Amino acid sequence: MAIAQAMCTSFKKELMLATHNFATNGNAFKLALYAEGGGGKSSTTATLGAATTAYTTTGEVANSGSYSAGGGVLAKVAPATSGTTAFTDFADISFTTATITAMGALIYNDTNGDKAVAVLDFSSNKTSTSGTFTVQFPTADASNAIIRIA
Amino acid sequence: MFELGISNVGSVNVMTSDKGGLTNEQVADLAVDKIVSISDEAPAHIRQQANQFREHLKHVLYHYLLLARKEERGTIIQALQSSGHTEMAEYIRRL
Repeated sequence: MAIAQAMCTSFKKELMLATHNFATNGNAFKLALYAEGGGGKSSTTATLGAATTAYTTTGEVANSGSYSAGGGVLAKVAPATSGTTAFTDFADISFTTATITAMGALIYNDTNGDKAVAVLDFSSNKTSTSGTFTVQFPTADASNAIIRIA
Repeated sequence: MFELGISNVGSVNVMTSDKGGLTNEQVADLAVDKIVSISDEAPAHIRQQANQFREHLKHVLYHYLLLARKEERGTIIQALQSSGHTEMAEYIRRL
């Protein structure tokens, strides 16, 4: 599979090296959209998964509407704990008046060398045509949050 | 080997639209998904009750989203009319 949902392995190591700061006044994180099957810029196809270490333009969707290369900045939800689980999350992100077909996304640290955090697999192609492309993040709790460490 | 923790990535939901923004119904769906989550492991009668609440909530949100958009258009129309843009105001009124 060219885009496989995963928490990037390099991210797990970088957590131990204090590379990423998810506090609301911490690092800036971005979400970039990717296509499979030659739908990306210059007909490139994305290969993303646990082995992804940083943001790449290969397979990224083309600029359209409010989407431009690198994607959009994510609004952070401050890290919290519930029981023995620590978690963090992001607010939903939308790209408007955009014509986009994307199969997945990459969350990465825009402050620290575009280091990869997680790959999101949409399971199928999602398309907006001169419209809105919204990625809704899960509820910020111990069972659903986008990044959880139990 | 001692496993001290498990790391997980949650699931996202993608909503798209054609030739315009998301509809009131889509926005209501997004809101409901954020407010109500129902465990697959919950007893059947609890799931049924939660699903009914979810549907009711969606209808309420849909109604007020519709109202909010209508009221906002009303404010924009008034502002345009006040500044002499009557044609533009009429165009927005017909949206």
